[in-house]
Amino acid sequence: MKRRILPLLLALALVLGLAACAGPNQEEAAQTVVRCGLSNAWDSLMPYNSPSGSNYSRIIYDKIYDRLAYVHADGTLDPRGADSWESADGGLTALFHLSEKAAFHDGTPVTAQHWADTIALLTDPDCPTLGRGAFSVLAGTDETGAAVEGESLGAQAVDTYTLKLTFKTPTTPEDFLLDKNREYYVLPTHLIGDTPASEVMELELWNAPVGSGPCSFVSEVAGSQIVLAANPDYQLGAPGFDQLVITVMDKSNLLTSLIAGDLDYYAFGGNASVEDAQVARQAGLEVLEGTVPNTFYELMLNNASIPSAEIRRAIGLALDKDALCLQSTQGLGTPTATDLTPGTAYTSPFTWSRDVEQAMELLRQGGYDGRTYKLACTSNRSGLAALMQQNLGEAGIAVEIVTVDSATLFSGMSEGKYDMAIASHTPGALPLWFTASRFTQDNNIFHVSDLAPYTEYISQIQTEQDTAVKQALVERFQELLVSERPFIPLWFGTTLHVQSPTVEGIDYPSSSFCNENVWDWVKQPG
Amino acid sequence: MTRYIRNRLVSAVPVFFGITILVFLMLQVVPGTITDLMGEQGVSSAADKAALEASLGLDRPLPVRYGAWLWDLLRGDLGNSYASGKEVSGLIAQRIGPSLLLTGSGVLLAVLIAVPLGVLSAWKPGSAWDRAAGVLCLVSFGVPGFFLCLVGIFVFSVVLGWLPSQGMYASGVYAGLGDLLHHLILPAGVVCLSGLGDLVRQTRSACLETLGEDYITTARAKGLSEGAVMVRHVLRGSLIPVLTTVLTHIPHIIGGSVVVERVFGWPGMGSLLFSAIFSRDDPVIMGVTVVIALAVLLTNLLLDLIYGLADPRVRYEEG
Repeated sequence: MKRRILPLLLALALVLGLAACAGPNQEEAAQTVVRCGLSNAWDSLMPYNSPSGSNYSRIIYDKIYDRLAYVHADGTLDPRGADSWESADGGLTALFHLSEKAAFHDGTPVTAQHWADTIALLTDPDCPTLGRGAFSVLAGTDETGAAVEGESLGAQAVDTYTLKLTFKTPTTPEDFLLDKNREYYVLPTHLIGDTPASEVMELELWNAPVGSGPCSFVSEVAGSQIVLAANPDYQLGAPGFDQLVITVMDKSNLLTSLIAGDLDYYAFGGNASVEDAQVARQAGLEVLEGTVPNTFYELMLNNASIPSAEIRRAIGLALDKDALCLQSTQGLGTPTATDLTPGTAYTSPFTWSRDVEQAMELLRQGGYDGRTYKLACTSNRSGLAALMQQNLGEAGIAVEIVTVDSATLFSGMSEGKYDMAIASHTPGALPLWFTASRFTQDNNIFHVSDLAPYTEYISQIQTEQDTAVKQALVERFQELLVSERPFIPLWFGTTLHVQSPTVEGIDYPSSSFCNENVWDWVKQPG
Repeated sequence: MTRYIRNRLVSAVPVFFGITILVFLMLQVVPGTITDLMGEQGVSSAADKAALEASLGLDRPLPVRYGAWLWDLLRGDLGNSYASGKEVSGLIAQRIGPSLLLTGSGVLLAVLIAVPLGVLSAWKPGSAWDRAAGVLCLVSFGVPGFFLCLVGIFVFSVVLGWLPSQGMYASGVYAGLGDLLHHLILPAGVVCLSGLGDLVRQTRSACLETLGEDYITTARAKGLSEGAVMVRHVLRGSLIPVLTTVLTHIPHIIGGSVVVERVFGWPGMGSLLFSAIFSRDDPVIMGVTVVIALAVLLTNLLLDLIYGLADPRVRYEEG
């Protein structure tokens, strides 16, 4: 008996070993697969039911569902679901001429009625959608984006392929797209049928969604891996691959997997730090230097616990933004005095400089009592926080660092538990990309006691059509922000993009803005 | 024996519910909920947050929420993920297989290496085997799993190009046993190396202790060969501590290895738990906790039963 076991075990090991060395089967070999890495998981596959609304979810929706336009990193727009657009009614209306070639993955053509029905469904107060706020810019909705009974909703199908959106305030189609494009997707309303709005999110459809994007759904291991197939009939052209496999994995393994040839690309845009870029170059990969800012860092301030504008300004003056920016971006950033994204149409005359003496003087004027402020940050920014603590300490401001996770940081700031917190965002091309959503009664994250001066400027800038007048208003608004200092703009950062050695046609910088031109991607043979 | 099992199962019930209450409370103590991660950080409106809280039932009092969760659990419903909206039981069913495969094969490999190596190093202290065991223990205990993963990827994927650095399948879907095993070797190797030290050390010290027993001297005096003494008597006599160590890995096998699964993009329970914690997906965290708690409790029972089989001196008292 004993003699028989050993050969059996050896045979088993041999079989397993041979199996392990076996190549892919023929069917698999015939498929051209693009393997993509992502460092965080997406959530629901229903784009209007995403609790996080994160970029990790949006980058998946971007593939399955179609949007009206493609937004380049520099703020220029290209047609996507819409071939063209125009402004009408003195800027209150935008007409989108939809692509007549666009179709859902089940073959049904995408019409303006699909778009109008999608918006009607999601603005229905009975529909338990998340992020309905994206529709609050449309006429006939309240401030939460819910349709107001008795009012005409600002989304109508003029004809089969013309969608008319009516806004509450004059808005150019370009400004609307720059602001909202990534939140507007067309749903296959023909498959939703008569389902009551209250039950729409429970449909099985969202487990195997049908969209009209450049890729169709194949399978998913929720939060770990999604397999998509190229949509050969996509109106902008068929992607140059058969399947796109997106896998969630640790950040630390993204670049190594690209170098090892086990990944073709990683989102967003193959972002890399200076050190990683050096490793990539040594491994023979090409690295592209981004020119458009894709991150904006701010120091959030709690205006209730730091009620003196002088003290808030002193904090801004005490910070050595050059050193902080260098520590964080390793030379790929520019310190800023405002939240206006460099390179966009709107500018401000304000510049930044550190002045510890003046900061100390402002502290005296503001009656700083020597109290210790709580500075919250996530663990990856603890070095930055320590540097800030040192900067502020030089001006005599005592700071205690609290390292927490993202959810704790934002809940703590919104509950007023922390005095300041470090946060970063993806910047936008519009002058109010940062401020419009942060100075409202509904979201007063900086705990500003009187929002009126801010909301007044925001409203004026939003409605102003004349570019020169708008620019003047922007400058005056920035002046208010500089004097009141409700938050401290720190810097805008660019990034390095490690280029895929196996896929051509990727628009790397635009990936940071949650859209990827997969229809132009071509997987190279071999 | 049946009565013993029944008594143990009954006594496990309050422990199980105690664990669920503890984890549930811990999740509530941590500041922030999934609503704080909503939208682009800091821009979600109070109305949006309130709508999400209401839809998830987070606006109800704590005891009501626990009661509802428990009631659903007793009906076999682990609830739905806050993040994906999918049934937690479905998510666990999807992930438990890959975890069993990865951690199970890693632990099995570790047992196959550690037991003979531990016996050999106890049998011949100071020999090359013993020194090799010492080095393996040092690496296993001293090097963090995360670093082992990265070193493994660098050596076998980047430098040598022998093994894939990520995923379970090359094209995202099952494409043959060969493809699966090819992807399994590296992460399972890390799991194996991480658990190896404990097993080798336990086996070695248990064997050394048994070697000092009188019945081993008797066996040698009877003229048995050293190999026979080691296998028939020493190894059997050392079985209980070794078995204990091996079986305590069962919850780990079911629960998955968080670090290894995360680094390698392996779709198992560990990576599910990791994502759930960071996205404050309480139903998923609770669901995975239930599975792991059950595994721990059943493993403890299994251990007690196996002791009886491994050591005839162990008897289960009736009543």
